[in-house]
Amino acid sequence: MRRGFFTLAVAMILFTSSPGLAQIKIGVLSDLSGPTSDVGRPYADGIRHCAEYLNKQGGIAGQKVELLQVDYAYNVQQAIAAYNRFKGQGIVALQGWGTADTEALVRFVARDEIPTYSASYSAHLTDPKTAPYNFFIAADYSTQARAALQYFHDNWTEDRPIKLGLLYPNHPYGLAPIPAIKAFAQDLGFELVGEDNVGLGDMDATSQLLRMQRLAPDYVWVGGTISSTAVILKDAQKIGMQAKFITNIWGSDEQLLKLAGPAVNGHYGLHTSVVYGADVPGMKVIEELTGGRPQNIHYIRGFASMYTMAEAIRVATEQGAITGPAIRDASRTLRDFDPMGLTPPISFFEDDHRPNMTVYLYQLFEDRMELVAEQELERRPEWFGH
Amino acid sequence: MRGKCGLFHTSYASETRFFQTGFQKLSLGVFLALLLCSPFFLSNYQVSMLNMINIAVIGAVALNLLTGCCGQISLGHGAFIGVGAYTTGICTLAGWPFFAALLFGGLVTAVVGMLFGIPSLRLKGIYLAIATLAAQLILSYVFLHWESVTGGSIGMGLDAPVILGMSLDNDAKMFYLTFGVAAASVLLVANILRTRHGRAFVAIRDFHQSAESVGVNLFAYKLQAFAVSSFLAGIAGGLWAHYTMYITPEQFDIMLSIQYLAMIIIGGLGSVLGSIFGAVFVTLLPEFLGTLAQWAGSFFPNISMYFLALREGIFGLILVLFLIFEPEGLAHRWRLIKAYWKLYPFAH
Repeated sequence: MRRGFFTLAVAMILFTSSPGLAQIKIGVLSDLSGPTSDVGRPYADGIRHCAEYLNKQGGIAGQKVELLQVDYAYNVQQAIAAYNRFKGQGIVALQGWGTADTEALVRFVARDEIPTYSASYSAHLTDPKTAPYNFFIAADYSTQARAALQYFHDNWTEDRPIKLGLLYPNHPYGLAPIPAIKAFAQDLGFELVGEDNVGLGDMDATSQLLRMQRLAPDYVWVGGTISSTAVILKDAQKIGMQAKFITNIWGSDEQLLKLAGPAVNGHYGLHTSVVYGADVPGMKVIEELTGGRPQNIHYIRGFASMYTMAEAIRVATEQGAITGPAIRDASRTLRDFDPMGLTPPISFFEDDHRPNMTVYLYQLFEDRMELVAEQELERRPEWFGH
Repeated sequence: MRGKCGLFHTSYASETRFFQTGFQKLSLGVFLALLLCSPFFLSNYQVSMLNMINIAVIGAVALNLLTGCCGQISLGHGAFIGVGAYTTGICTLAGWPFFAALLFGGLVTAVVGMLFGIPSLRLKGIYLAIATLAAQLILSYVFLHWESVTGGSIGMGLDAPVILGMSLDNDAKMFYLTFGVAAASVLLVANILRTRHGRAFVAIRDFHQSAESVGVNLFAYKLQAFAVSSFLAGIAGGLWAHYTMYITPEQFDIMLSIQYLAMIIIGGLGSVLGSIFGAVFVTLLPEFLGTLAQWAGSFFPNISMYFLALREGIFGLILVLFLIFEPEGLAHRWRLIKAYWKLYPFAH
């Protein structure tokens, strides 16, 4: 019996210590159980499925991708702990998630030279002077909002300025694009009629909407997430508000269509990727991976984020060892990289980590999100970083 | 006393000594020596956990002095930690030496804490909790909207602390700083509790009218409790800011205040040792549950997903179970364990 245990122990040691195939370890910080888990789960699924796809294709330059995932529940302290654990496990890159944790880790990843592709699209993360190892694959929050204003300005036919209202949560995420919106609205000659706060967890927005209705805006920017957006849209329908609402990237998705029902019809959602079922090469891959089960739009961005990072790693392997600085430098060589059509082409530069200036405008209906425009802005230097 | 069975005190001074026996001194010395050597044999991840525990210990011991010892419930502790973080950060960015910035951060937080402690003369219990909740909301608003000072929603980037020309730019170096400050904070609070002030705090907590009738100036002592507690919270915030090197208003929200309340409830209200236990427990529990989820996931992938979703619930459940079965916290359990081994193998 004792000999049996001994043999088993030796076998296990040999098995675990035998040199296996080289693996590219990537840390994934996900919110699967915290306050943003409703969008965090599909995004994390997108990353995971992309890694599966890459491994089925033989990995990246012959090396398999190994994802080390931690559910940090949108808690900064847990994100830092998870990051340190990842570092001990030998990750070469990180797929991050929210604004609070991505920002808390900016200095850590710069110090440890770990390239990070996050789902926080704060404009200041695009400045390599302050965030040299941070990347993301969507136009930043400010650019998204500016693109919407540009689109409505270009398509305005009446002989009067457009009246704009702003509804956003008094929260770092909600406040981030507001200065950019105000400045660009002024440049385009919009009339800013009013602004108000609707919290991320608010169950009623009637009083704010009644005040806003009196100001008769043509368009109202909604800067919350889907639950607060659903409340706003339903309450606006209840009071018969005529304005068109523009929701930002975390404020509309397929779930919002269910939550808001008919109240969603005709309003606009800003996104930076195609929706499930779009006629692009990447969709066939996704359909195959998911067995034809429809996926959330955030899933598609998660997939594209991992796919773009994999391309940077592939370029890095061609130039030598897979290290953090090599992946960062390789990311900066990407020029109009097309993640199988899932997002607009992506380019990063040494002094500018803005992936692109393209935003998709969708019109929302209770049964679909219909692409109405692909708005592209010029890469203006004065917009850089904010 | 050597050679006698049990402890015999012949003076109040001997009764209030920290260490009643030589064994206590020896075991604590060995423990501290091991802790000081730990960066040499622990992984970077484990040392980073120790850093977070050290910072949590400072915050928890501060809140325990105010809430556990003086009976003043505070739901604004997270914001006070934020005040310290921002003040220290602003000072170091202005070129102040780290320790000067840290101390100034603590002092500014003490002043802010005293300001919000003023209502404590008229309010107590749940009413004071709401008043301190207001402090949390007001300060969160200031962090977010005073952009020229705090950076607003963008936040504030900082550098690692520099002490005597040495940059504490890794977890191992940072450990000695956080550990030193945590040890000093624990010693400070433990000593305060042995003084006239500490006894006044406890008297106020137990029954404020009795305390007043024996000459305790309620307002002065309550403000003192707020000041000392906020000072230490500010120190914890300053360390946190320079440990993470990037602070945003989201890091100091109401959830942080609740987390610190959970620490002192789980650890044991009114106990310095309990604060340490609570800080360790609350910091390590999510890591333990995460590891458990990963381990379960390697056998049953689907179960792991359900487990992850349950994780926050499990945390809440543990809190409730503590309140029901161990309301005096881990410190009480530790006393029982010590008593058990003292009498072992004789139960009575």
